[in-house]
Amino acid sequence: MNKIFLRFVTFLNPVLENTGVDTDQLYQILKVKLLMDDRRPNAMFAARRNAANSNKVQSPWLISFFTVLIGLFMSMILLLNAGPYIVQTLYFTIFMVMMALTLISDFTTVLIDSRDQFILLPRPVNDRTIAVSRILHISIYVLRLALLQGLPGLVMIGFIDGILAVPLFFVQILEATFLSIFSVNIIYLLLMKSVSPQKFKDIISYFQIGFSVLIFATYYLLPRLINVSALEHISLLSHRWAYALPPVWITALNELLMHPGRSSFITGVLAVTGFTLPLIGLWFVAKVLAPGFNRRLAVIATSEGNSDSAVNTKKAGKFSFIDATGKIIAPDPIENAGFKITWKLAARTREFKMKVYPSFAYIPIYFIYFALNTKGENLSDRLDELQNGHSYIFLIYMCSLILTTVLMNISMSSKYKSAWVYYALPIDKPGKILSGMFKAIITLYYLPYFLVMGSVIVAVWGPQVINDIILAFLVSTIYGMLTALFIVKGLPFSRPVIAKQGGGRMITSFAMLIFIGGIGFLHSLLMKWEMVIWIMIAPFLLITWLMFHYYKKQTWDNIQVVEV
Amino acid sequence: MSDTPIIQIRNLSKSYGSKLVLKNLSLDIFPGQVLGYIGPNGAGKSTTVKILAGLIPDFEGEVFVNGFSMADDPLEIKKLIGYVPENAEIYDVLTPMEYLDFIGKLYGMEEASLHDRAKKLLVAFGLASNTDDRMDTFSKGMKQKVLLIAGIIHNPKIIILDEPLSGLDANAVIMIKELIMRLAKEGKTIFYCSHMMDIVEKVADRILLINKGEIIADGTFESLKQNHSDTLERIFSKLTGREDSGSEADAIINAFD
Repeated sequence: MNKIFLRFVTFLNPVLENTGVDTDQLYQILKVKLLMDDRRPNAMFAARRNAANSNKVQSPWLISFFTVLIGLFMSMILLLNAGPYIVQTLYFTIFMVMMALTLISDFTTVLIDSRDQFILLPRPVNDRTIAVSRILHISIYVLRLALLQGLPGLVMIGFIDGILAVPLFFVQILEATFLSIFSVNIIYLLLMKSVSPQKFKDIISYFQIGFSVLIFATYYLLPRLINVSALEHISLLSHRWAYALPPVWITALNELLMHPGRSSFITGVLAVTGFTLPLIGLWFVAKVLAPGFNRRLAVIATSEGNSDSAVNTKKAGKFSFIDATGKIIAPDPIENAGFKITWKLAARTREFKMKVYPSFAYIPIYFIYFALNTKGENLSDRLDELQNGHSYIFLIYMCSLILTTVLMNISMSSKYKSAWVYYALPIDKPGKILSGMFKAIITLYYLPYFLVMGSVIVAVWGPQVINDIILAFLVSTIYGMLTALFIVKGLPFSRPVIAKQGGGRMITSFAMLIFIGGIGFLHSLLMKWEMVIWIMIAPFLLITWLMFHYYKKQTWDNIQVVEV
Repeated sequence: MSDTPIIQIRNLSKSYGSKLVLKNLSLDIFPGQVLGYIGPNGAGKSTTVKILAGLIPDFEGEVFVNGFSMADDPLEIKKLIGYVPENAEIYDVLTPMEYLDFIGKLYGMEEASLHDRAKKLLVAFGLASNTDDRMDTFSKGMKQKVLLIAGIIHNPKIIILDEPLSGLDANAVIMIKELIMRLAKEGKTIFYCSHMMDIVEKVADRILLINKGEIIADGTFESLKQNHSDTLERIFSKLTGREDSGSEADAIINAFD
């Protein structure tokens, strides 16, 4: 597969040479980068020594399979019955958003590979070659993805518009892909030119978090908000703003060649735009935006150490909220250490935030989704319906999903090797660190989140639900502790990041989910008697305390020590 | 030794924000010199080295290498320089042979001669049996050897070594010291940057001491000895204002009371 793409790149050589790219060097860089991509999955994990060689083939194929599956779902849109332009515009919008998303999340790792600084920059390679190699590297990666993602659509369009539409659709997919690359490139280059390097990475990661929330929200909420049958009567081109949408240009190509009967001069103009713009975009990136690119990158790599020190000195000597809470909640010195290290690392580690923060937004979205599903003619009707019901129990217990997400990720870090200190120091009971960790998670993430959700619930359903909230909090803390006991086998940030989880772990977490669902159900059964809920709080408080007590007693036997 | 300097640095300044790291540094280095570049942490050593290797393109002042200006012809300069970085950054999913093939081709070397040379160098550095193993299983010293080979594979005129001996065993250290002297005899210019005073003392025929972005001593080890103290370590601490290391140690011991 890589060889085909490399061959394809050599076709571009004449164009690239004109813009000042050294094509031999470009070929070498691309070859090595693609080779590294192929080797990365199994090289990244420390577990590779135990794992059999057969894993090597497995993971890329699995990823390909899922990509095709997503493409299949997307291609369902093509079957919708609607006016001209609508269906394909919708398809390509989703296609491009998916593409841009993948680009943004993968771009950061490729662009800011700090090793390039020391390996490529001292060699006689010019700025353009490096910049173009990055763009092409990404393009090849994305093209592979685009083909997989577009494959079901290709088949589908053959049935809808006839066999001739298939090669045309292929061209359309290419257009969409190039346009996505181009727009993401511009965003990146502009950001790099205008924002300080430190902020750049943060902005990108918040971008990613925002995007994944957006995707999730669209997926759940959009179908509820729009009426599919209304699509038939929309005439897209009667809106002027539609001319500015890239997916419309792409769709125009199909309209022009497949349905010439209903196309006009404007369709032709749009189709030509869709065809030429990606090419102009590629040229523009290479010629105008790429120079000085490495300069900015070099600044990112070199300035980091210098700016960090300035930030840290400011905070020294000030009253610290963490220290104060830590002293009260986790008085034991070792527990306190676990508490503070978890708090600080969790709040400062970018990759951890990236994985955990989106789930904070998922729960309200889920809830709105279910709320929209309630019967009722208009919004106020639905709200009434909601207030009379007991769905808030569902909402409270759903909060515990956050605990699961946090706990799943808390022991993983790409810098897991720093955890050698735990193994080198005389710690008799690692359970103390774990309980410190657990307390930090509860105080840093869970309690604030729960309080916010709790106040929303009280605002909607009234103060009589407070007892339910307290009980649910205790129950979910116990649930969290059980999860921690069975799933979190490592100390905070002490294990390498592993993409796929063992089957056993999946079953355990599934069992946990059923457990929490069952408890929630029992809770809703008891809700008729307000007093019972109040009384239940006492024994659950005791259980929580007891569990903390025993959780602390965990020994090294219960913890998986990763070779550092 | 020829009269025209191969590296000329004129009024080189570099600042990060308001912090001035290099202050009007001027320096001539002649072909065949082994330059020992020493200085305390944060003195501006790495910054000088990175500017010279072309890693930091924005600086004030002028840098000329073999008549080329760093601002105008960085690529010509990069062709002349072999750089071995301090932090062992390497694409470690590759094998040494693949990595060297990659680096050599970036320098535009012919495949046949490149492979031949890479093989010979790997054998000479004692990595013959690891030629086709991925480097992620390598020890720090083995990776360092590959980096050294990558730094000299294109037979550069100037070799910049930034802390090249980290992780190497005693035998390799002896070999590298010998290698540096032999390369200098071949007419190569070597820019050796290190904290290990005893090695700098032995290999360098000119020592530069930098502190707070300025050169505060420049000369042979002999001339430095006459003016200051008898070992490079002492000269170093005297000139960088840390003469009373005894009292610092006292303070450390007292902290336990």
